[in-house]
Amino acid sequence: MRILGIESSCDETAAAVVADGATILSSVVASQVDIHRKYGGVVPELASREHLRQIVPVVREAVLQADIALRDIDAVGVTQGPGLVGSLLVGLTYGKVLALALGKPLIGVNHLEGHVHAVLLEAHAGGRAPKLPAMCLIVSGGHTLLYRVEAKSNASGNGALQLSYSRVGGTRDDAAGEAYDKVARMLALGYPGGPIIDKLAVHGNPSAVRFNEPKMGGNQYDFSFSGIKTAVLYYLRKRPELQPEIDAREQALARGERNADALRVLSSATTLDLVASFQHAVVEGLIRRTLAAAEQFGAASVLVSGGVAANRELRTRFEEESRKYGLETFFPSRALSTDNAAMIAAAAYPRLVAGERADASLNAQPNFPLGKVVESLELKV
Amino acid sequence: MPSVEILSRSTEETISQGRELAASLRPPLLILLTGELGAGKTTLAKGIISGLGVAAEEDITSPTFTLIHTFTGRVKVFHVDLYRVSDVHDFDTLGLEELFAEPAIVLIEWPERMRLRTDWPVLRIALEHVADDVRKITIAETVPDKFARRSSGTA
Repeated sequence: MRILGIESSCDETAAAVVADGATILSSVVASQVDIHRKYGGVVPELASREHLRQIVPVVREAVLQADIALRDIDAVGVTQGPGLVGSLLVGLTYGKVLALALGKPLIGVNHLEGHVHAVLLEAHAGGRAPKLPAMCLIVSGGHTLLYRVEAKSNASGNGALQLSYSRVGGTRDDAAGEAYDKVARMLALGYPGGPIIDKLAVHGNPSAVRFNEPKMGGNQYDFSFSGIKTAVLYYLRKRPELQPEIDAREQALARGERNADALRVLSSATTLDLVASFQHAVVEGLIRRTLAAAEQFGAASVLVSGGVAANRELRTRFEEESRKYGLETFFPSRALSTDNAAMIAAAAYPRLVAGERADASLNAQPNFPLGKVVESLELKV
Repeated sequence: MPSVEILSRSTEETISQGRELAASLRPPLLILLTGELGAGKTTLAKGIISGLGVAAEEDITSPTFTLIHTFTGRVKVFHVDLYRVSDVHDFDTLGLEELFAEPAIVLIEWPERMRLRTDWPVLRIALEHVADDVRKITIAETVPDKFARRSSGTA
């Protein structure tokens, strides 16, 4: 069964065709990063306007690349939330109308569930399957969440793995990707902050600056990144001598010189040490809690997904550390880490098989929670 | 109207000051939170929103990416962050005027990034990082203003 997936929850307009929830026939992503870069973030009005401009050509391209005709699609899966409401509505409305016009089933998909499926898609492409239950870390600009993922039933007839999710922890303040973006802004390293900090961190000493572990009561699997962000601010306040190089980088960015080599030349050893130490602290915080939760909740493997999952240090350190726990860590490819529609189509598949159908009243849910939802969709075989 | 100045020496203190402040807040009310990155805007908002009794402290997170968090309970509360909206937009362009459709408490971080228009009472709270963990919180009440104007940022 071929599902057309549509995703427009934030910066990316994306469409993809995935067969049987496992094989990617096409995956097209039109990113708005360049448009948003000069604003240092997503401007919602621009986001929805760009989605409107992109949605038709992106869907057309996905169908063309899959080498099929629109009428050959078996269902349409579309992101319902969480996300920016104006952006979500573009993909949702388009998907709804398309399904109606083609007379095909429509499935509303939770964006976060899509991120879980991004890891499963990648594993499948490599001929592997993560052992369940798994501990899944979803880490991006907007999310830092821990879910326990388990199989509800493994239907033999159609092979659609039904999953259920329970939320184990989440950030109390800033998302990890948001901390990267804000620190990059303080240091004039451009937007998005993650990739550039990851590249520059290689050239600094990760133990040069010590960041205190956030003190938190309550759920020990919650995250906090606001304190690290503030610590970077304090550090810069105490070192006014770093201001000239920040100004120099600001000017370089304004000239469009935003690659790592150009910015590295304009960065002192102190700055590179700070960047390396910041990244080290964020990565350690993510790994420690994820692995502790994996142990506590009896996870058999670890899944890491979302934009920050593309981070080189995060991947390397996760692999090293999880091995100590006897756990294998699975990541999506770089292309599947960031927002895409293949993961949406893949997440729609078990729901389609389970008989779930959305009607014309399907609406965007900007705060759509994940968890406990799938349990009611248990496959009856 | 004179403004009130308080000092906070820790995150916990900022949160409890927010909770105390919440006890005197009634809708409709627009709260503008200004201050640079790391000044404690979200932390104070955590205190205010949990003090209003509409969410637990740990469930109030930064709306930077998601723009608007909605809380419903005894009162309706919107927590808005315009950090990612860099150039000055009109309130209407982003559809934010809907927040003012019915009496609510609307908290806006980085309000200087937008032209705001409301006839609701406005509470301006400026947060300033003075030394290590010390923040100066300045609270000023503004009379309702029927005319369109650009809010002034103090950051």
